[in-house]
Amino acid sequence: MKLVKVVIDGIKTEAEDRTPLLQVAQKVGVKIPTLCHHQLLEPYGVCRICMVEVHMRNRVRMVTACNYPVTDGIEVFTQTDRVRRTRKMIIEWLLARCGQVPILNALAAEYGIVEPRFGRGDDTCILCGQCVRVCSDVVGANVLGFFNRGTTRYVGTPYDEPSDKCIACTACARVCPTGCITVDDEAEQIRGELPLGPMTPIYIPTMQAVPHKPVIDAESCIHFKTDGCRVCASVCEAKAIDHGQQDRVEEIQVGSIIVSTGFQPVDPGRVPQYGYGQFPNVFTALQVEHMVNASGPTNGQVVLKNGETPKSVGIIHCVGSRDKHTHEYCSRVCCMYSLKLAHLVHERSNAKIYNFYIDMRAAGKGYEEFYNHLLEEGCEFIRGRVAEVSDWAVTPLEQNKLVIRVEDTLVGMVRRIPVDMVVLSTGLEARADADQVRRLFNMSCSSEGFFLERHPKLAPVSTFTDGVFIAGCAQGPKDIPDTVAQAGAAAAEAMALIDKGQVELEAYTAFIDEKLCSGCQICVPLCPFSAIEFNKEKKVSHLNEALCKGCGTCVAACPSDAAQQHHFTDTQIMAEIEGVLVS
Amino acid sequence: MAFRSHVLVCAGTGCVSCGSLKIGTAIERELDKHGLRNEIQVVNTGCQGFCAEGPVLIVQPDGVFYCGIQDKDVPVLVEEHLLKGRPVQKLMYTPPAAAAPIPMLAEIPFFAKQKLIVLRNRGLIDPERIEDYIARDGYSALAKALTEMTADQIMQEIKLSGLRGRGGGGFPTGIKWATCRQAALHRGVEPIVVCNADEGDPGAFMDRSIIESDPHAVIEGMIIGARAIGSSRGFVYIRHEYPIARERLQKALDQARDAGLLGTGILGTSFNFDIEVVQGAGAFVCGESTALMASLEGRVGEPRAKYIHTVEFGYKNLPTNLNNVETWANVPLIINRGAAWFSSMGTGEVADNPWNGSSGTKVFSLVGKVNNTGLIEVPMGISLREIIFDIGGGIPNKRTFKAVQTGGPSGGCLPEALLDMPVDFDNLTAAGSMMGSGGMIVMDDQTCMVDVARYFIAFLTEESCGKCTPCREGLRCSLDVLTRITEGKGEASDIGLLEEMGGVMQDACLCALGTSAPNPVISTLRYFRDEYDAHIRDHRCPAGTCKALIHYEIDQAKCDGCHACVTICSTGAITGQVKYPHLLKQDLCIKCGACIEACKRDAVLRV
Repeated sequence: MKLVKVVIDGIKTEAEDRTPLLQVAQKVGVKIPTLCHHQLLEPYGVCRICMVEVHMRNRVRMVTACNYPVTDGIEVFTQTDRVRRTRKMIIEWLLARCGQVPILNALAAEYGIVEPRFGRGDDTCILCGQCVRVCSDVVGANVLGFFNRGTTRYVGTPYDEPSDKCIACTACARVCPTGCITVDDEAEQIRGELPLGPMTPIYIPTMQAVPHKPVIDAESCIHFKTDGCRVCASVCEAKAIDHGQQDRVEEIQVGSIIVSTGFQPVDPGRVPQYGYGQFPNVFTALQVEHMVNASGPTNGQVVLKNGETPKSVGIIHCVGSRDKHTHEYCSRVCCMYSLKLAHLVHERSNAKIYNFYIDMRAAGKGYEEFYNHLLEEGCEFIRGRVAEVSDWAVTPLEQNKLVIRVEDTLVGMVRRIPVDMVVLSTGLEARADADQVRRLFNMSCSSEGFFLERHPKLAPVSTFTDGVFIAGCAQGPKDIPDTVAQAGAAAAEAMALIDKGQVELEAYTAFIDEKLCSGCQICVPLCPFSAIEFNKEKKVSHLNEALCKGCGTCVAACPSDAAQQHHFTDTQIMAEIEGVLVS
Repeated sequence: MAFRSHVLVCAGTGCVSCGSLKIGTAIERELDKHGLRNEIQVVNTGCQGFCAEGPVLIVQPDGVFYCGIQDKDVPVLVEEHLLKGRPVQKLMYTPPAAAAPIPMLAEIPFFAKQKLIVLRNRGLIDPERIEDYIARDGYSALAKALTEMTADQIMQEIKLSGLRGRGGGGFPTGIKWATCRQAALHRGVEPIVVCNADEGDPGAFMDRSIIESDPHAVIEGMIIGARAIGSSRGFVYIRHEYPIARERLQKALDQARDAGLLGTGILGTSFNFDIEVVQGAGAFVCGESTALMASLEGRVGEPRAKYIHTVEFGYKNLPTNLNNVETWANVPLIINRGAAWFSSMGTGEVADNPWNGSSGTKVFSLVGKVNNTGLIEVPMGISLREIIFDIGGGIPNKRTFKAVQTGGPSGGCLPEALLDMPVDFDNLTAAGSMMGSGGMIVMDDQTCMVDVARYFIAFLTEESCGKCTPCREGLRCSLDVLTRITEGKGEASDIGLLEEMGGVMQDACLCALGTSAPNPVISTLRYFRDEYDAHIRDHRCPAGTCKALIHYEIDQAKCDGCHACVTICSTGAITGQVKYPHLLKQDLCIKCGACIEACKRDAVLRV
């Protein structure tokens, strides 16, 4: 890398040999206007607005800064009369084509053009080619191109037909400096249907994501459609982006396992009377949580689907909890998160908030105080299970609103509450694949589908499988403090095992006498602790004593008496019986 | 077989379009009739240059030149000259003012003042026969370059000769070759040589004629150049509109390949080189080097910024040496006869620094309002007056000379005051015009200079690729202003505006098409400003060509009522009885000027 000395408008600087002059100028803060230049694209040098005067030895040249490679000893002037005259003329020429383009009019004002001498045209494309280049060089879709030549040159698609090669990435519209390219409403609508999905193909899933790193959505990433783009990789200084990354399965040997597979929110579609999926302004609590997040898709603003701020919001508690149609248990966290959302939504939108609850369960440190605080804020609490949400207006006040019909059990009457937005506080349920996980680890599940601990009080994080522990909502609904506490306990249990370095065996484990074993394999599926494996070579069953809990199931089931239990052999038991009978 | 006589029939595009090939077969038929086929051979040659008089032919060894031959003349010609040995006077060339025809080719002024270097074989050989070229010392320079000279020696010879690019830029060929080789060595890649035969200037046909009359000269030059630069791959980029030239070039390449002059192991040495012909698709801008290379690569022929030269990064980013047809054709002679011989022709001391002058000759296509239009080759430094009045035979129809436009559409118009200026690269540039590829258009006093400027700007507007703003929009705006002036709607500020636009275009355009595009306007403003003033201030076109500013009248005193104008007028604007002075209705007149041509008594006036 060779460094060369360059002087720009009297500012002395050094730059790598043959760096584009514009880059060097920008680095030292000298402003040069551009129209066809874009940092993601190769310099094109056609709008000619970036012309500057370069003095090299005794030679004076007018060059375009965007693509002129600097060499040692050049002196650059960006504001001479000659430069200004050139730029002014170019602006006037462009105005003769595109008279109403804001970026040109801003330049015209800067260069003192009041009324352009060649009039003002009504086109909006200045033929800078940024769209064409981004489409072919960056996106790789090769949809746009220049057609005709000279004064009749224009940008278009082949044969002026809508191209099926267009992937609607809208990159052309984004780079267009004049606003000549607009994105069709249809495409905007598609985007509008996913207001809470990723807004760009690269995003950080949530602010609390662990690890806190962006991911690429292969569905919407241009690279996976055209094999082009890779703009992210080119701008990433850490060179962290690898489009070739694939999912892979890794096998890791461990001594103990903590299962904390979490929960899934109840699908609000299972409570159809609340209109989720039917009315656009019925959201789940998680969606609203997304919305009120300052780094979320709406920058923390609470908005309806049409972009307006709601004036009234109804929060329905116990959706999918305490209901024999879904889950009879209480999800524990919905009351408090509903209160939190009520507070935040009120704060962001100043909307009137209604909470529809069955019982307020604010059992936790400071929770009751928070509930009282909301009461003071003017949040309405209506006790009663909501019957339905509809858009059927009975009174003029209910026009264009969602109507929540509920029996207010405190006043003993049915009420109709019109609101702009409905938030469903969905409960927590076991993950759909919990049963597969249970089988994998040989654990038990409670009737609700959550993993069962070995003992609710004495072994709350252990399972019936040694070395496998559970923590968090996989065990049952709980809030974050409880989860953290339980996770700490599980970690400590696992650490204790590791620290000890050895496992204490039960004294009364079973064993299989290989000489007697007929290889019938009856015992293998019967063992609740997966301690018995079949040895295919020897054609006998083999028992892992480290896993055996000495339950005796295999001993009782073995037809050839090959399975026996220490201290409980048939002769011992018979002897014991005899002893009892003798005494 | 030895023949006692040869009939050299011109088969250049001009003469072919007048039917010269048919004349050739007609002569052969006549020869058969007289049983002379074994004694006299008919040869189709390349362009002989005197296109104005086509179809032309020369009978050798007598050296008699015949022109304007028609089918009916053939029997007479064969019987009189070839059978009886009596040259046919009425078919010979008669200069406009002279009484008697000039029989001998060498004595015709059009040919006498020319110096044929590049066109040395024109009209003498059959361009489709490599044997003819070899018989005229063809490929001896190649043999010398390959066997007796090192690459450095070839390079040195070209440098010392002071040869400058004939495509218009006038860049010293030796320096270009050396830079290209240097770039290739530096990067460890193989360079490419390209011949630019995309001749697009209106009224220019030098390159076409060279290829049509002597394609092997170009090929030989390219092989020598490739040897010096170290290339094994070459291209000829030729216009699609030149079918004859393309066929002949292709044929010549095939012959050279068969003869072991192209391909692997040329002339038994270890040197390999081959040439591919690539057709252009009709864009004028593809004559520009970067656009040409884009087109060569199969992309749209549009130029790019040349801050990095094509000798470093050209065709497919390889170092690429591009020279014009005429430049390549000069190379074999420089190798054969030496740099000193070449630089003895022309202007300046070029041995030390090729920028000091212009050596050698230049081929021009002389067209326009001049008696002897055609292809000429003259030494550098000859005056415009010699070209136009001695070789060109002056202005026809007793009109007077007004201007000569050189350098193609982006060249400039030079006035009478500069007629004695020696023609070379630097003088023409200093005078606000340029050498260009060698187009030379002569204009008489009936040519309106504003209209000429408007014509060329319109041509360039049409041919601009539209990539950069100043060329695309600047030309359009300039054309609007010029059109406004020729319509008599010009404003006093327009001249300043044209000058300002021209200046900005020279500074700001992306390629040479754009930067030289304002030349027609700037040079006419410089030398013929009074005509602009007349259009703008007096609403008058001094040359009488701008339709909006003239009208026709019938001089009642002169009109004898012959009805000729009434018959020819297509709109019925002229009425009147036979033998009584006619009347012209202005509202019907479309100013086509047919009446003025038809009137034998000069009674129709253009006012």
